Amino acid sequence: MSESKEFLTGLYRDLLTVRLFEERQIEIYALGKVPGHIHSGVGEEAPYAGVFATRKEGDYFKITHRPIGAAAILGMPLKTMFAEVMGKETGNARGRGGVLHLADKSKGMIGFSGTLGCDAGVADGAALSIQMAGTDNVVYTFFGDGTANRGPVYEAMNLAAVWQLPVLFVCNNNQFAISTYASWSSRVEHPAADRAAGYGMPSRAVDGTDVLAVYEAAKELVAGIRAGNGPAVLECRTYRWRGHFEGDQMKYRDAAVTEKWTREKDCVANFGRSLVADGVATEEELSAIRASIAAEIDEAVAFAEASPEPKPEEILQGLYVD
Amino acid sequence: MQTTYLQAVGDALREEMRRDEKIVIFGEDVAEFGNIFGLTRGMLEEFGAKRVRNTPISETAIVGTALGASVTGLRPVAELMYADFTMVAFTELFHCVSKWRYMHGPDFRTPLVIRCAMGASNGAGAEHSNCVESLFMHAPGLTIISPSTPYDAKGLLKSAIRSDDPVLFCEHKQLYQTRGEVPEGDYTIPIGVADVKREGKDVTVIAVGLMVRRALEAAETLEKEGIGVEVIDPRTLAPFDKETVFRSLRKTHHAVVVEESTRTGGIGAELAAMLQEELYDELDGPVGRVAALDVPMPYNITLEKTTVPDAGRIAAAVRAQLARN
Repeated sequence: MSESKEFLTGLYRDLLTVRLFEERQIEIYALGKVPGHIHSGVGEEAPYAGVFATRKEGDYFKITHRPIGAAAILGMPLKTMFAEVMGKETGNARGRGGVLHLADKSKGMIGFSGTLGCDAGVADGAALSIQMAGTDNVVYTFFGDGTANRGPVYEAMNLAAVWQLPVLFVCNNNQFAISTYASWSSRVEHPAADRAAGYGMPSRAVDGTDVLAVYEAAKELVAGIRAGNGPAVLECRTYRWRGHFEGDQMKYRDAAVTEKWTREKDCVANFGRSLVADGVATEEELSAIRASIAAEIDEAVAFAEASPEPKPEEILQGLYVD
Repeated sequence: MQTTYLQAVGDALREEMRRDEKIVIFGEDVAEFGNIFGLTRGMLEEFGAKRVRNTPISETAIVGTALGASVTGLRPVAELMYADFTMVAFTELFHCVSKWRYMHGPDFRTPLVIRCAMGASNGAGAEHSNCVESLFMHAPGLTIISPSTPYDAKGLLKSAIRSDDPVLFCEHKQLYQTRGEVPEGDYTIPIGVADVKREGKDVTVIAVGLMVRRALEAAETLEKEGIGVEVIDPRTLAPFDKETVFRSLRKTHHAVVVEESTRTGGIGAELAAMLQEELYDELDGPVGRVAALDVPMPYNITLEKTTVPDAGRIAAAVRAQLARN
């Protein structure tokens, strides 16, 4: 590996932070501490960690419902994240938005929609701001294989290409749209990357469980975007470890296949092992990283639990600018 | 200075763009072509291709782009050509634009304007004639403006552009070539303030868009019959200026709502419900409604005229209202 130890262990920390956030989300959901539904992204951390490793100051980001823990990579405080997930006053939207709307504007996050894909153009708008300002910044926007079939995604891709906007469209292809196989809902192997050519965009399709493969592909595409060559598409193939929602019995798929993916293609465990094998970090160092993240998450969850509920008499606050 | 409504809207855009370089405009055929009504003609030449942009036929991308641009510091004024096309991007307007700030938190501001041309216009048919204000009155967070005069159009568009909240700005096609007095220089009209277009003592007619002119025509006729009609133009449907309407009703005690969109679930339905809840004791009868028939706008001109309220129908509704006494 040619990257520095600091970079690689940082990448490991990002992966593991999302993993532990997603796991804790499942726990607090099971305890009845989350008002709505969660969509665990355990196993799908690498597309975010690898892609975000190419970011720089002034870039914008639009994540999705899975994994929302990705917001932590961008520096959104875990306390705020858990508070919003629990619907508390100390969340970013004061408990009014919830799991589908974690966002920290100070970190470049522009928000996202729970009606998947209808926010695709929002990335174009942020990219328009960048283009008007004349910087070499980029908008990173994520969506899944299911959303890759939505019209607004195509409109946003086409407009970005026509206006040559600096957008990296990242498809996290976890192979399932609730129960529907990506291989059924699209006649091409890569529902985002294979269609990019139709809009005149370059694309790459990579193993989304290999964080360095994701990083290298993103780096190449982002370099082109920063150079002013317009948008690009990156598709990362992962596997949705859990159900669409917690409680999903997943009778629509073969448990043996799921077991194989989780055993062989665990992006966090595999990357950790390679760091140790290559002499980049020791088991102890990785354990220390894990312990520090776990402690931060414990503290964040405690903070969120102790936080006040929003007040009914303030329910209209936040609707209009005062 | 006498100006057309179309010119007033265009002047507001031009003057605001000169004042604030954060304003960008985009939409279908707005650049070289200058919009299908000629409203943005000359703007590409004056402000350049970065600030005046054509888009493909992609309404969801137009609205989404406006939202993303507003979140990141621009003040976009996007155009959807016909108001009917708001439905193509209904999710983007209803779920995203109107709720973005509430869903993501107080750090988020969405200073954007979506302009569209609405209303019946001589055979435009079922998909190019709709008035859409009432559809979006169901979307908390959205400001909805529907001006009826050149003066209101210019002053309100300026306020819309300067507002930090998202605005749906509905321009009526049949009003584009109407003329009215517009002062020289900069002025704004506050959002959420109704205007009494004509004073009268017997009946309050609340009319929107083109219907304001038709209500004024009806008022002229009724004046000769000894009936004093007060015509109120809300100008902004959301937020709605209740106080101006209440003040009028405390005087007249009769209300008729006139709108161009279909009757069921319309502006009149909402206002009638609101008035009986909040001002019941002041009303001497039920709130009257004059609206388009519940039918897709027919193509045939006679059928179109039958569908949309005219001064005669408004006058008849006012007489019926008073006959209940």
